Amino acid sequence: MRKLIFLTFLAVINSYSYAQTTYDAAKIPENLTKDAIAVVRNEEQFFDYKSIGSGQVDYKVAITILSKAGDDYAEMAEPYDKFSSIYNIKATLYDATGKKVKEYKSSDVKDQSLISDYSIFEDNRIKLLKFYSTAYPYTIEYSYSQDFKGILSMPSWRAIKGYNISTEKSVYTIQKNPTLALKFLTSKNLKTDSTKVGDKTQYKWSTTNTPAIESEPLSIGLENSVDWVKVSPTQFEYDNTTGNFDTWKNFGAWISKLNENANVLPPATKTQIQSLIKDAKTPKEKMRILYNHLQQNTRYVSVQLGIGGFKPILAEKVAQVNYGDCKALSNYMKALLNEAGIKSNLIVIGNGMPGLNPNYSSMGQANHMILCVPLEKDTTFLECTSQYSPMGFIGYDNSDRNVLMITEDGGKLVHTPIYNAKDNYQVRKTKINFKEDGTADIDIKSAYGNAQFEDNMRMLLIEPVEQRKRINETNGIPGAELISFKFNQADKALPIMTEEINFKSNQLLTQGGDKAFLTLNLINRKESVPAKIENRKTYFAVSFSYQDDDEISYTLPKGYAVEFLPKDITLTSEFGTYTAKFITKDNTITYTRTQTMTAKKFPPEKYNEFVDFNKKIYQADKQKAVLTKTL
Amino acid sequence: MKIKALLLLLGISACHLIGYAQKKEFKFGKITPEEFQIKASGKDSAAAAIKIFDVGNCYFEISPSSGGFVYVYERHIRYKVLNKNGYDLANYKIGLYKGSNSAKEDLYGMDAATYNMVDGKMVTSKLNRDAKFTEEFNKKYTYKKFALPNVKEGSILEFKYTIKSDFIFNLRGWSFQSDIPTLYTEYNVKIPQYLTYKTNFSGYLSVNRTKHESVNATYVNGLNSTATYDQYVLENVPALKDEAYITTLDDYRPMLDFELQGTQFPSEPYKDYNGNWTKIISGLVEDENFGQFVNKNSYAKSVLPTILKGEKDTLAVTKLIFDYIKNNVKWNDEHSIYASGTNPKTVFEKKSGNSADINLSLISLLKEAKINAYAVLISTRDNGAHPGFPVISKFNNVVACVIINNKNVLIDATDKDLQLGMISYDNLNHQGFLMDLSTTKGSWIPIEPTFTNEKNFNYVLALDKENKLTGKIIQYSKGYAALNLRDKYRTTNNETEFLKNYKKDKPGLELSNYKIDNLDNLDEMLTESMDVVIEDNVEEAGNLVYFTPLLFERTKENMFKHEERLFPVDFAYPIKENYRITVTFPEEYEVEKLPKGGIFKLPDNKGVFSIQFLGEGKTLMVKSTIDITKSFYTPEDYFDLKELFKSIVQKQAEQIVFKKKAE
Repeated sequence: MRKLIFLTFLAVINSYSYAQTTYDAAKIPENLTKDAIAVVRNEEQFFDYKSIGSGQVDYKVAITILSKAGDDYAEMAEPYDKFSSIYNIKATLYDATGKKVKEYKSSDVKDQSLISDYSIFEDNRIKLLKFYSTAYPYTIEYSYSQDFKGILSMPSWRAIKGYNISTEKSVYTIQKNPTLALKFLTSKNLKTDSTKVGDKTQYKWSTTNTPAIESEPLSIGLENSVDWVKVSPTQFEYDNTTGNFDTWKNFGAWISKLNENANVLPPATKTQIQSLIKDAKTPKEKMRILYNHLQQNTRYVSVQLGIGGFKPILAEKVAQVNYGDCKALSNYMKALLNEAGIKSNLIVIGNGMPGLNPNYSSMGQANHMILCVPLEKDTTFLECTSQYSPMGFIGYDNSDRNVLMITEDGGKLVHTPIYNAKDNYQVRKTKINFKEDGTADIDIKSAYGNAQFEDNMRMLLIEPVEQRKRINETNGIPGAELISFKFNQADKALPIMTEEINFKSNQLLTQGGDKAFLTLNLINRKESVPAKIENRKTYFAVSFSYQDDDEISYTLPKGYAVEFLPKDITLTSEFGTYTAKFITKDNTITYTRTQTMTAKKFPPEKYNEFVDFNKKIYQADKQKAVLTKTL
Repeated sequence: MKIKALLLLLGISACHLIGYAQKKEFKFGKITPEEFQIKASGKDSAAAAIKIFDVGNCYFEISPSSGGFVYVYERHIRYKVLNKNGYDLANYKIGLYKGSNSAKEDLYGMDAATYNMVDGKMVTSKLNRDAKFTEEFNKKYTYKKFALPNVKEGSILEFKYTIKSDFIFNLRGWSFQSDIPTLYTEYNVKIPQYLTYKTNFSGYLSVNRTKHESVNATYVNGLNSTATYDQYVLENVPALKDEAYITTLDDYRPMLDFELQGTQFPSEPYKDYNGNWTKIISGLVEDENFGQFVNKNSYAKSVLPTILKGEKDTLAVTKLIFDYIKNNVKWNDEHSIYASGTNPKTVFEKKSGNSADINLSLISLLKEAKINAYAVLISTRDNGAHPGFPVISKFNNVVACVIINNKNVLIDATDKDLQLGMISYDNLNHQGFLMDLSTTKGSWIPIEPTFTNEKNFNYVLALDKENKLTGKIIQYSKGYAALNLRDKYRTTNNETEFLKNYKKDKPGLELSNYKIDNLDNLDEMLTESMDVVIEDNVEEAGNLVYFTPLLFERTKENMFKHEERLFPVDFAYPIKENYRITVTFPEEYEVEKLPKGGIFKLPDNKGVFSIQFLGEGKTLMVKSTIDITKSFYTPEDYFDLKELFKSIVQKQAEQIVFKKKAE
C-alpha cells in the first residue's frame, strides 16, 4: 500500500509538472520551427452568439517567440469601441522551458485611442501590452473576454496568423442560439464540425501542426494556401439600425436606407448648380463641370463614429462645410448630379482589396465608397475624395474588381473598369549628344498613362524645389547634373502626364584600358532579379499591367567608333514580352526597347519561369556597346 | 559645445518674401483685403501656404483652485492657403497633458474661422460645433482637434485659443520657422518678479528681442508687483526644408525654450531649482527616480556574489555586471533620464525598462561592487543639441561611465550588442554631461565615438573561360558596422532569409558554406565567409571580355546629390571601407591595359579615397579604400565630399578589359 501511495503521489507531481511545461519550446515539432519566427502553441477562440444584437468572445492564445525577429508577436493589441468592451485580461510570460517568469497586472495594460492615420476622429480604442524577454525562445500567453452590443460581423479565422508563424493548435468555436442564423465561408479543405449542445448549435474549425509560410515576393496573399473561415450574421442590429446580409441585394438595401433623405441640397446650392451648368449641353459636360466644382471646393475629412462609419453626413451639411469622407463626398456629388438631372449610384468598393465575393455577402469586404454615373453611352466612375484625380479615373487600387452598386431596389454587383497594359503606358524618347570631351547632353521626354500616371502624378503636386530634389535622388544616371525639368498634365480631365528632363553628364562612358563602354539602356533598366523559390506556396501577380516604350538615340563623341554592338533580342512569355534593338549608323546608335507585362495572377509553380523571364530582361538591359578611339 | 558655437556663427539672415506691409495689429476676424493678395515668392514661390502671422502670449496668473502660479498661453495664427497641398492646415491639433495628481492643462476657448473672397466680398465660415473633437489618447495625453469648413485655394484660415497650464517648470516654447514661409512671428513672455526662467535660443536664424522691460503686474489683489516682459520677433522667415545626414531638423529651426531657474516669494528665501549644475546634480541625487534609485542596493547585494564570483579586477567586474544587465533586462525603446520606478529590484522583476531603468541599475550594481561609476546625461540626436548651460529638461537620456586606465569608458546596456565603450547611434550627439553623484560635481565631456563604422571586403576569385568567377568572399565588420550587421542578422527571420536579402542587390551571385563568426562574441571581429560562384558580371563583346572589379561593393551613386547645402553633414561616426579583390584569369586572356589608380583627398585629412589596379602574370588585384575620418562636416565641406564621391563613383566603375587570344 505504501508503495501505491507513493506512486500516486508521483503521478500527481508528474501531471503537475506537465502542466507547467506545456510551453516548453523544446517540445515544438521541427516542422513548425522551419521558416518560423514564432509558433502559436495554442489558440482558443469562442464566440457566443447570444442574440441578434449581442455576443461574447472568450479568447486565449499562447505564442512562443523563437528569435528577435519574432518580437513583434510578443504583444497583446486588441481593439475595441463603445459597442464592444474588453475585460478579464490575463497575461503571463514563460521562459524557454515553459517556466512562469512573470504574471502581468491589469495596470500593465495600456489603454489608448486608435485612430486611422487618414481620420481626424474615430471612436476606436486599443488595449495594449508588450511582453519583453532578453532570452530566446520565450512564450507569451494572454486571454480576455469581449462583449459585443450590435453585431455586424464576427471574427474570422485562419490556420496561421501571417507569414513566418506556424500553429501548433488553434480552435475557433461559434455557438449560436436556435433562433439565430449565421453563415460562413470556408477554404476548400477546411472541415466544419457542427454539434448540438442543448438547444444551441456549435460550429468548430481547427488546425493542428500547420507549418509557417515564408513571405514571398509579389504574393497576392495567403488565401489560396492555408485554411480559413469567414463568418457573418445574416440579420443584424447595430447602433439603432437593422438589416440583413442574406444577399448583396439586401446589403445594398441597408446602405440605401442609411442614405435615405441624405440627398437634399440647400436652395442656395441648387441655384449655384443651375447657374454652373446653364450653358452645358450634354450630361457629360454637366458632369465635368460638377466634378470640377467638387474638386475645387471640397476636401477630405474623415470622422467615423458608430453608425457614422456606414452612414454619410447629409448632403445639406456637406454643402455648408465643404468637407467629408468618402461616403459624404460621394453622396454629395450624387446630390449635385441629381440637381442637374443626372442619375448616379453609390458604389461600395474594396480599395486595394480583392473584389466582393458574388456568393458570400458580408461586412469586411469593402472599405471605400465611390460614385457611378451610368450615362447612355458609357458609364463613369468618380473618385470623390481626391482633389486631383482626372474625371473617371479611379486608380489601380479601385479598378478591375466586383463592387456593389446601390440602387433603389437594393444592391447590385458590378465590375469596375479594367486598365490594360496599353492604357498603363510609359513612352520615352531620349536624345544623347556627346561632345568631344566626352560630356553628354541628355534630353529625356516621357509620357505616362493611367496607372503609370498615378505612380508619377505626385511630381505634379510638389514644389519645384522638391521636384528638383526628387529628380536628383532618383535618376540613377552616373554623374548627372540636372539642367532643367518640366512636368505637365495638359488636360486635367485625362490621366496623362508628360515629363521633360535635361541632364549633363561626363560619366556615361566608363573607361577600361583604351576602350570606352556605354550602357545603352540608360534609364529604364531592370536592376535586379528576384531569387528563385523552391516550393513556392502563394499565387503571384505584378500590381498592374503595363507597357514601356523607350527609344534612345546617341550621337557619339568625335574620334570614337563602334567596335561592338549587342545583338537584337526578343523575349516572349505568358508574363509579357520584351524586345531590344540596336542600330548604328555613322556616328549614331539608336536603341529601342519595349516591355509589356500582364497583371494576371499566376499559380506558385509558375514563379521560377517568371524569374527566368526577368533574368533575361536584366541581362538584356545591361548590355554595353564598346567604343574604340579612332584618333 | 563645438556645434553650438558653429550654429551661432552661421546664423543666416532670413531672405525677403513679398513686401507685405505688416501693421502688427492682430484682431480676430479682422482681415484686410491685402491679405487675400498675399503670394509667396522667391524660393518658396510654390509654397502650399503662408503663415501670415503667428503671435503668442505667455503670462502668469494665480490659480483659484491651488492658489499657486499657473501660466496662460495664448496663440493666434493666420494662414493663407495657396494650393490644395495646404488644406491640412485647416485641421488643427492641440496636445494637453495631465499629471498623475490633479495637475493638468486645459484649453479655454478656440476661435477659428475660414475666410473666402467671393465676388469681391469676404465670406466668413466659423468653426462648427460638431467639428471639435477630443481624443483621450491615454491617461496622460489628450488631443483637441478641429476641422475648419469651406477651405479652398486662396482661403485665409485663423485660429485663436488659450491654454492654462499647471506645469510651470517648462513653459511652452516658440518655433519661429515651419515648413511653410512665415511673414511675421512674435512671442510675448511676461515672467512675474517672483520667478526666474532660463531662456534658451537655438537654431540657424537669429531671433530679435524687440522688448525687454519691467511692467506692472498684479497677481494677488492688493499686492503690487512687476513682471519682466520680453518680446521676440522674426519676420519674413523662409520655409524650413529637411536635409539628409543631420541630427534633427529642430537643431536648425529657430526656437525658444524656458526652464524654471528659481523662485523668490515675499518673505520666503530664494529657492534655487536649477540655477547651476551643482543644483541640478544635487536635485538628481535626491530624486527617487535617479540618485535614490541608484542607492537602493538590496538587489545588487543579493545578486553580486553570484555575478562576480570573487572577481576583483575593475575591467572584468565592469564587464560581468554589464553582461548581467544586458542579459536580464530588455529595453522598451523609451529614452528617459528618470527611472520608471524607485528601486532597481522592480526593473529586474519586470525584465524590461526604459534607458534610465537600465543604465541607472547598471550604475547601482557597479557602485555596490565598489566601482566608481558616473552618470552621463545626453540629449539624443532626435532630441537635438543641448544648449550647454545648466538646463535639465533638454536631456532625455542617461548612460553610465567608468574610468578604466585613465580613460572614460561609456556604457549603455540598452542593446545586447553594444560593447563596453560603445553607445548607440541615437546617443552620438557629440557631448554628454558627466556627473559624480557622490560629490555632486559635473562637467561636459566629448562623446565622439571611439569606434568607426568599418567594413572590409576580401574577394579571392578565379575567372574561367565561361566568364564565371569562382572563389571565396570574406567580410569583416567593425564598430558600428558590426553593431548594424548583428542587428540585421538577429532581426531577420532566419539565415536563409538573411542570405536572400544579402543576395538581393547582387545579381549573378550564388553562395554556399556561409559562415558568420563571433556573432555573440563582441570582443572579436565579426567575420563572414562564403564560397561563391558569380555569373552575369563578366561580359563579352566580340573578342573582348570585361568586368567591373568592384563587383557588388562599388559605390554606384553619389550619396550627396544636391546642389545646395545649408546644414552640416553629421554622420555620427567616421566611416571606413576597404575592398580587395584578387582574380586569376585564364591563359587565353590578356589584360589589354589596366585602369590608372589614384588617390583623392579631402583638405586637412578629412577623408581620402584611393584605388589601385595591379597585375602580374595571370593574376590581378584591385584595392580600394574609402576613409571618411570625421563624424561631422561643415556645410562648406559638403561640396568637397560631393566631389570626393564623384571620383569614387567614377573610378570604382572602371572596367578591366581582357582580349581573348586568337585560337
